[in-house]
Amino acid sequence: MRVRKSLTAVAVALVAALAAAGCGGSGSGDSGKKTVTMWIYPVIFDEAKHRAFWDETVKAFQAQHPDIQVKTEIFPWANRDQALATAIAGNKGPDVVYLIPDQLPKYARNIEPVDAYLDDAAKSDYLDNVVKSVTIDGKMMGAPILTSAVTMMCNKKVFEAVGQTTYPATWNDLLTMAPAFKAKGYDVTAYPGDVKNTLNQTFYPLLWQAGGDVFSPDGKSVAFNSDAGRKALTFVKQLVDGGYVDKTLLTTLPPTEQTRIAQNKVACLWHSAPQEVEQFWGKENIKVLPPLTETKQIGYGTVGSLAMLKGAKDKKAAGEWIAYASGADVTKKYDTASSFFSPKKSAGTLFAGDPVLGEQEKYVGVTTVGPLHEKARDVQGVLAPEIQAALLGKKSVDQALSDAAKAADALLG
Amino acid sequence: MTLLLVGPAPARSSEKGVDVVTLSARRRLRRPSLREAGTALLFVLPCLLLFVAFRFGPAVAGVLLGFTDYTIGGDASWVGLDNFRRLIDDPTFWSALKVTVIFALLSVPLSMVASLGMALLTRRVFRGVKLFRSIFFLPVVTSLILAGVVFTWVFAEHGPWSRLMGAFGLPAQSWLADSTLVLPAIVLVSVWSRFGYGMLILLARLQEIPAELEEAALSDGASAWQRFRYVTLPQLRPALFFLAIIETTMSFQVFDIVYVMTGGGPVRASYTLVYQLYEQGFRYFDLGYASAVGLALFVMTVIVALIQRLTLGREE
Amino acid sequence: MTDTLVPSATPAAPPARRSRRPHRPQQASRSWRVTRAVLLFVAALATIFPFYTMVVLSFKPTGPVTFPDSLLPWPFSTEAYDRLLGAKSMLGWAWNTLVYSIVSVVGVLLLSSLAGYAFAKKRFPGKEPMFWSFLAMLMVPYHVTMIPTFIIISELGGVDTYWGLIVPTLANAQAVFLMRQFIASLPDSLFEAARLDGCSELRVYVSIVLPLIKPVLATLGVFVFLWHWNDFMWPLIIGQSSDMRTLTTGIASMQQENVPLNMLLAGSVLAFVPIFMAYLVGQRYFTEGVTTSGIKG
Repeated sequence: MRVRKSLTAVAVALVAALAAAGCGGSGSGDSGKKTVTMWIYPVIFDEAKHRAFWDETVKAFQAQHPDIQVKTEIFPWANRDQALATAIAGNKGPDVVYLIPDQLPKYARNIEPVDAYLDDAAKSDYLDNVVKSVTIDGKMMGAPILTSAVTMMCNKKVFEAVGQTTYPATWNDLLTMAPAFKAKGYDVTAYPGDVKNTLNQTFYPLLWQAGGDVFSPDGKSVAFNSDAGRKALTFVKQLVDGGYVDKTLLTTLPPTEQTRIAQNKVACLWHSAPQEVEQFWGKENIKVLPPLTETKQIGYGTVGSLAMLKGAKDKKAAGEWIAYASGADVTKKYDTASSFFSPKKSAGTLFAGDPVLGEQEKYVGVTTVGPLHEKARDVQGVLAPEIQAALLGKKSVDQALSDAAKAADALLG
Repeated sequence: MTLLLVGPAPARSSEKGVDVVTLSARRRLRRPSLREAGTALLFVLPCLLLFVAFRFGPAVAGVLLGFTDYTIGGDASWVGLDNFRRLIDDPTFWSALKVTVIFALLSVPLSMVASLGMALLTRRVFRGVKLFRSIFFLPVVTSLILAGVVFTWVFAEHGPWSRLMGAFGLPAQSWLADSTLVLPAIVLVSVWSRFGYGMLILLARLQEIPAELEEAALSDGASAWQRFRYVTLPQLRPALFFLAIIETTMSFQVFDIVYVMTGGGPVRASYTLVYQLYEQGFRYFDLGYASAVGLALFVMTVIVALIQRLTLGREE
Repeated sequence: MTDTLVPSATPAAPPARRSRRPHRPQQASRSWRVTRAVLLFVAALATIFPFYTMVVLSFKPTGPVTFPDSLLPWPFSTEAYDRLLGAKSMLGWAWNTLVYSIVSVVGVLLLSSLAGYAFAKKRFPGKEPMFWSFLAMLMVPYHVTMIPTFIIISELGGVDTYWGLIVPTLANAQAVFLMRQFIASLPDSLFEAARLDGCSELRVYVSIVLPLIKPVLATLGVFVFLWHWNDFMWPLIIGQSSDMRTLTTGIASMQQENVPLNMLLAGSVLAFVPIFMAYLVGQRYFTEGVTTSGIKG
């Protein structure tokens, strides 16, 4: 009998444990101190420095708000949407999260607009295009903390080695000078075609430069299957077919130090940030150029913002934190440390004396944040393999784009 | 988890086990003890609860989900056969199916031949045989993720494999970057990681073949090939059949290597069914559609197992 | 020429249950032995080569690797390990993997032996249908149940938690089946005697059943351990934050984040070493565990 009792106890305990685990989660965090959890990504490349930055910022914040505890978690860039969507679905989402404009529509229904938590002075200090990029249905979905501009940049060492003195400004320039580089064993540029790369930095800039766009204005269909799209893809294909770019990068994504880019064999890039190549090229060898021009001159640039999720445990506390972390002082420090640019009018230019970043900062005006569409990321998933197919000669440019458009429209439908 | 039962030991105890159970049941038939039933149920209860929650429930739900448009965090509604219609119209699905089948057609025979070869080579006891067996089994205990990371470099553009191919006069290029060669590359990794398992299964069976059989064949003057063909191979047949089923099931579910080495590329040339299921389910969170892919995979596995049963397993 | 056929005391592979046969000289002719040696040597080299690559490249300074010269052990540098262990995530992943594996092994062994014992030696209503429905779950492929299981765990708030990771894997049909088969093969008299002595059911389980099933516990335990240690897809979808990664998902994420090659491989080496050590020590259990239980792919 005793045994049965103890067995019953075991069974009951097990069921209770399962049940408790199942119903748990809501009971935590009500012990007086308010907590705010923030997910951020490696905006500052060096993890230790990044962590130190936030630890310090949190400490300063707590000096003003001793009752609020802030926990920052640094997530990797890779698969960040997957992690966030899963967490939100499982009620494990953060209170505050770093989002960029092309993610906002996807999470719009999970986001608590920040308008009510920022004061008017802060709101009016933002650059107009920055505000526009984070606004959905008239509401600010996030408080911008940084902007970026991905411009063209070239490796001076390579240009010297080849004896080239002019730098490319248009697609045609690239194609014309390509053979000279090839003859000396260099690549004029690189096209990272592996599907893990975001098209925002690889194919879309070309599409925009050719006058095209990813989605139709009403967002009900895709628009890349157009003359502009075909022109852009044909341009890349010319680079590939001419042997002017490293074919390995079209389909694989080796660590940077293993690529020709790091080995100073590639002349110019339009998809990377200077921080990524600095250690291989040397900062003094980076020549920053404006975004390429075809029909128009335009490049990719993003706006990083802190958004509050509807599931935030204590919205007021989260709002306080967002207001603080997106304030002029904090963002200025953050942007300087991370080599990004400020979204604030009051900040002025952060890198005026810097030959690389100061140069890039000038082009913030000719950048676009990319397609603002709920399915933007999903569309990339179907377009990227078709671009590969065209570049490898498995499909014609026309065929690849129309197949991609068909698959993408099915996603939107 | 693929759950399969192998080898002579469980099979034997199974017969015995059933006997014992029936016997004891008969003996106690007249006095069903409430107390005994109670404790037994308590013993089974934890398992049962877990099974209801995480096996039976999901198995039923898995089928039902295929008929809904469930996305994470959203409402689900019954959409009938919509997902399956979409599947039929989806070129990605057909290409994933094709890739999966080709992968199986390449990897299953290759892995079985390698298993058989290594089993025959390490069959007899000689100095160092244990070391060889241990080496061949090592990849089996190694995570496919680690294997994938390393093999990515073995297959890199100027890596060892392309050097080796170059030495044989073949084009020295990265197999992973080529849409025709990527599948063979993945097959090689899969075979590397699996053959040690098949080798052990076959070794276990080889050691049960009565020596007299081969001795008789030998004294009849049979050549080595004839002894293998007419004595060893027929004896191995059940084990080979079993291996074929397992290897096929495994190859239909290939995912880890693809995830690490290619991400399904280039141009979806290594985009398998399970990879599609993963991407639909956990990248786009279209869980209804992902379930439909899962059901298609299930149906395919069952059909192939039946075909194998009818052809390979016929003479059992 | 004569003594190459040294009879081995215990073959490493599944224990031969038959007595050793005398080998005849004809069966091991000189040319066959040479061919065999060459073939085995080549196959062994090919099998080991990736492990060698992994270790050698992990001890290189950060930089481009070129073959074949990178296959030499120099230049030698522990830079990758220093950087890897400097960032604390790797140890966290190892800890998570350990928790996932150990707790699952203990849980599966406990639950399946309890249930297996009841199924094998007890009579209770609904026993047969229950057992057969457990068995039927062996036929349902993992990927069909994975999605609903994920939804359940996610609804219960188990995403990114240990329990969400572990609990669903405790329902292991194969373990129950193996336990039931093994316990059923033990003579009833062992249990009857104890019961007549007035032992309680729990006593019978603890002092009679458990000692008797030690061999199954070992092989099944090793199998479950290995399966969890190397598991990828479930931890991938359940453990989303970097704090909840296991070694496999952590290394896969490193690879996607463009971490230098030497660090990636250093991580692989660190993830491999514990399993390799365990394999060296308990090889017999590994081979038995895997061959009698099947393996996850």
